[in-house]
Amino acid sequence: MTVHKGVSAAALAATLVAGLAVAPGLDPSTQDLGTTLLAYLAVAQAWNILSGFAGQVSLGAAAFVAAGGYGAGLTLAHSSVGWPVAVVIAGAAAGAIGALLAVPLLRLRGDYFAIGTLAAAIAVQALLTNWDWAGGAAGVTLPIDRIPTGTALFQLAIVVAGAAMALATYVRYSAFGLRLAALRDNEPAAAGLGVAVYQHRFAALVASSVLTGMAGAVVAYQYVAVSPSSVASVNWSLNAVLMTLVGGAGSIVGPVFGVTVVYYGLTRMLEGFQVLSLLVEGALLVLIVKFAPTGVWALIVRAARAVRPSRREVEPA
Amino acid sequence: MSADVLVAGVLSGGLYALIGLGISLVFGVLKMMNLMHGELVVGGAYVASLLVGYAGFDPLLALPFAMLGVALLAYPLQRYLLTGLLRSSGTAPLVATFGLSLMAQAVLQAAFGTDPRALRAPYADAGFTVLGVRVQAVYAISFALTVVLCAATHLLLSRTRAGIAVRAAAADPTTASMLGINVGRVYALTLAGAAALAAAGGVMTGVAQSFTPTSGLPLLLTGFAVMALAGIGSVGGVLLGGVALGLLQSASTALFGGGWRNFVVYTVFFLALSFRPTGLFRRAVRA
Repeated sequence: MTVHKGVSAAALAATLVAGLAVAPGLDPSTQDLGTTLLAYLAVAQAWNILSGFAGQVSLGAAAFVAAGGYGAGLTLAHSSVGWPVAVVIAGAAAGAIGALLAVPLLRLRGDYFAIGTLAAAIAVQALLTNWDWAGGAAGVTLPIDRIPTGTALFQLAIVVAGAAMALATYVRYSAFGLRLAALRDNEPAAAGLGVAVYQHRFAALVASSVLTGMAGAVVAYQYVAVSPSSVASVNWSLNAVLMTLVGGAGSIVGPVFGVTVVYYGLTRMLEGFQVLSLLVEGALLVLIVKFAPTGVWALIVRAARAVRPSRREVEPA
Repeated sequence: MSADVLVAGVLSGGLYALIGLGISLVFGVLKMMNLMHGELVVGGAYVASLLVGYAGFDPLLALPFAMLGVALLAYPLQRYLLTGLLRSSGTAPLVATFGLSLMAQAVLQAAFGTDPRALRAPYADAGFTVLGVRVQAVYAISFALTVVLCAATHLLLSRTRAGIAVRAAAADPTTASMLGINVGRVYALTLAGAAALAAAGGVMTGVAQSFTPTSGLPLLLTGFAVMALAGIGSVGGVLLGGVALGLLQSASTALFGGGWRNFVVYTVFFLALSFRPTGLFRRAVRA
């Protein structure tokens, strides 16, 4: 366990540093692509922390992408602070909304939690559409000279996605994460052994919200605008679920794999075929829960083990 | 608050109850959150739109066909896909019905386009005045229809052999199946029945308002809000929950304006959840 933990942390840190160092040398289109993928990764990994590791399946990621996107966008449009401060505000805004929603949401278990988050996301979208100060249905355009572009934006995306990966690694290997998993797998038993149910669920929800909100800021900078139909779109909730489930919920590598597969195999390929892409996404969700509930990454790992038998079986006794 | 607003609220509440009844039925019997309920409602409206558009049917004449059509589509989904998932992990049916709702939206968009449609009927915009209170005909009709369908559902569940089988499967599927009840079939029939109710709600919604392939999500949440207000297990409770929601919406529209209409549904939903520590649903904690 400790070896895995050390290796994971070191690999993650090395990837982060390498990414930040290589970023300036890449051409703009690669940087843009990287930013897109990393924003998806941050949202998916944040969903994975809440739903995969802590077992609270959310259909409301869009609410927090919107909170972050609008948090950063409105801050830049209505004040003179710099964009890094706006990212922090985006995380804080999403975290505050997460903490506020925790009051009703954390009374709910299982499917009820999912419905509650879905309602929250739709409510946030309805609120933004009716909120004149936030631009109503048209949204807000960000001041283009004060937002990061190219290398800076890509590096920001690396940091945000890196934070999500780091938190997932922490949750995977820490005692805190073990208690979350215990709550997920058997709440009465975990509570009976002294796990503070509300505190742990609250921490998972708020941490996930903050990360999703910071990813929302990245999206807002990349789009140079925020509107109810972009950052508050139910597509964010859908992608978080789809990408993580395809890769494998409750594993660190799962969302990385899922984001790549879904983005290249689906989002990219079916760009411009909105109806077909919706159909395939829906079918994929059904097929995954029916035939590969642990995700494709777990299937690949299992297949690799089957192809290469362990040493004990090969060597004579 | 004028009497017009109150009456309009009560009558539109009938429509909400009709949408909530199917969700409540499926949840009560199958313990399944059906996230494609909104698409079953919209699907009913589209089936009726075919009959209204090509065969010149009146929407009320098209209604039984829409109910039957959507029920026939729903039956195999439960029989051959969802019931199997109910026995596996906790959230599998939830994710699967979410996936099915997306697929249904895609199919509806491909078949009918994204332009809003409405079901034309002579009573769509008509109204009459009773004791000085203005009443919209379509809402009066849909309220009467809701009462009839609620009563039919109640009688079906309480007075018939099939209803007893459904209640047995709801109370204890294992024992029910040992006593010779085909639980898989009962579940599929329950979803089909809920789909028929949803389609009826869809046809009336289609006459009263316009609809698009993506109208399902707000309708789904309306249904959940009704269920949250009503609790599970009583058909009469659903009717009251729908009326309560209709009154709230009507009052808020009169006070704050139409743009906030849907927002009220979601707020009510959250408040209903917050005020009951274990959630308004009785089985919120499975311990």
